[in-house]
Amino acid sequence: MVNLLYCELLKLKRSKMLLISFLGALVTPSMMIADGIKIHYSKPDTIITFADLYDSCSLYTMMLFGLIVYSVIAAYLFSREYTEKTLKTILAVPVSKLTFIISKFIMLFIWIMTLTLISWASMFVLAALFGAAFEIAEFSTVVAVKYLGEMVLGGIFMFLTITPFAFLAIWTKGLVVPIITAAAIAMGNVALSNEALGALYPWTASLMLIRGEITQTGYPYLLVITLIAIVSILGFLASIIYFQREDIK
Amino acid sequence: MSAYLIETIGLTKKFGEQIGVKNLGLHVPQGKIYGLLGRNGAGKTTTMRMLLNFVHPTSGTILLFGTDYKKQPDKTYRKIGSIIETPGFYDNLTGRENLKILARLRGQHRKDGIDYALEVVELNKEANKIFSNYSLGMKQRLGIAAAIMHEPELLILDEPISGLDPIGIHEIRKFFLTLCKEKGITILISSHVLSEIEQLADIIGVMHEGRLLEEVDMIELRKRNRLYVTFTVSDVNTAALLLERQFGTSDYTVCDNRTIRLYDNIDRRGEINNCFVSNGLLVTTVSVSEEKLEDYFSELIGGGGIG
Repeated sequence: MVNLLYCELLKLKRSKMLLISFLGALVTPSMMIADGIKIHYSKPDTIITFADLYDSCSLYTMMLFGLIVYSVIAAYLFSREYTEKTLKTILAVPVSKLTFIISKFIMLFIWIMTLTLISWASMFVLAALFGAAFEIAEFSTVVAVKYLGEMVLGGIFMFLTITPFAFLAIWTKGLVVPIITAAAIAMGNVALSNEALGALYPWTASLMLIRGEITQTGYPYLLVITLIAIVSILGFLASIIYFQREDIK
Repeated sequence: MSAYLIETIGLTKKFGEQIGVKNLGLHVPQGKIYGLLGRNGAGKTTTMRMLLNFVHPTSGTILLFGTDYKKQPDKTYRKIGSIIETPGFYDNLTGRENLKILARLRGQHRKDGIDYALEVVELNKEANKIFSNYSLGMKQRLGIAAAIMHEPELLILDEPISGLDPIGIHEIRKFFLTLCKEKGITILISSHVLSEIEQLADIIGVMHEGRLLEEVDMIELRKRNRLYVTFTVSDVNTAALLLERQFGTSDYTVCDNRTIRLYDNIDRRGEINNCFVSNGLLVTTVSVSEEKLEDYFSELIGGGGIG
């Protein structure tokens, strides 16, 4: 497994996707700062707090941008072996299909968590710069650490709920279907993020869980967690079973 | 232990209703080069994919090194090197990095395995070039390097020299022969080009429409190649009748309405010619030829060329 993970990392050498994903992780924090600057000039009386910035950053990452970026990464990790026809080279070594696919999921987890940390760190740096140039309230490491916990937990939930996209990439052997599906899911997030029904929609429910908003929706925690677990487990199992059974062309 | 390094019993693969491979009984002896020959779509690649555990057989048995291929696959497949069609490598990595991945996953058999393989395929100078910038021939050579870098006991090669230039083909062919004759490596190689296989193989298996039509030793096969005499005559029916009645032979084939091919009584062709003429036939050509392998295979698969 260690060798497989090392190889997964080596496969990303010179990969444009790696650079693009790092830039992608900077988009949400940058947008928050851009929004802050806009507010600063349009509503000078409004006080922007450090927590506001992190809160919005976490929200948009989990509901919109992060979902799409992480889905693209998942689709890329799994589908590139088909598009570059490398499965017949790697599996002939031999490498067991199960170990191979698990290493892919671990790599996906590492990648998502790395991007989460980049988003968190860049939000911290950009907020500091914003504070130096304009004004920011309650800028402190305590707030940053609190949101680090929230964003890391958010990253874990996103990894868990992104497994169906990995299956779609394996099934369709390409990027297009997972990306379109991710866009549709993100639209669902937009529609449900302020609704009680969002608790039954695993991608929205993840954020609600982290923020402790489930109680307000009236749905039991067990139901919400069960739905998230079903989506996650189905994604894992479908990926593993399909990959084990399919013929390598 | 089985005398064969590869043996399949009743191996069948169906793709829905379509049959890819039917009831295949392949026998690849140790230390030999076995050429799997057949037209495009004959089932060669599917067979090799099944042998490499990429494709699940519908039914049948595969024995590799005398044991079921699903028992200890880790141990079995480490002794095998393979190329299936165009080799697949990571576009963003160099040739050397691609081989490094395989060496890392497999565990290095020899420390200089990567350099050895790159040198054999003459890619050592291009080892640090990005794979996506490789030419088709270079990609194919890297595939061969990947297949041999761990010094396998068995090589399964599907059309390995397609895309190589003539000098490259000659070099790689020579290398395969050396591997087999000097190091005792068994090679299963497929091709739809007869001349390719003819120069390499000790044994040939002919596949057609998913079936293995014949497994034949090349020495035996060459013995089978017979001389024949071709007569171009005005009436093949009369000629055939005369051959049977006057010369007591039925070892001939009527090629078209003017040509008849006779496989025995070659030395009596002058006498036969006189007989034809005296019986009112106009003989325009009498020529002695050798039946080539191509004709033999063409006949075996029921017409049409191999390539």
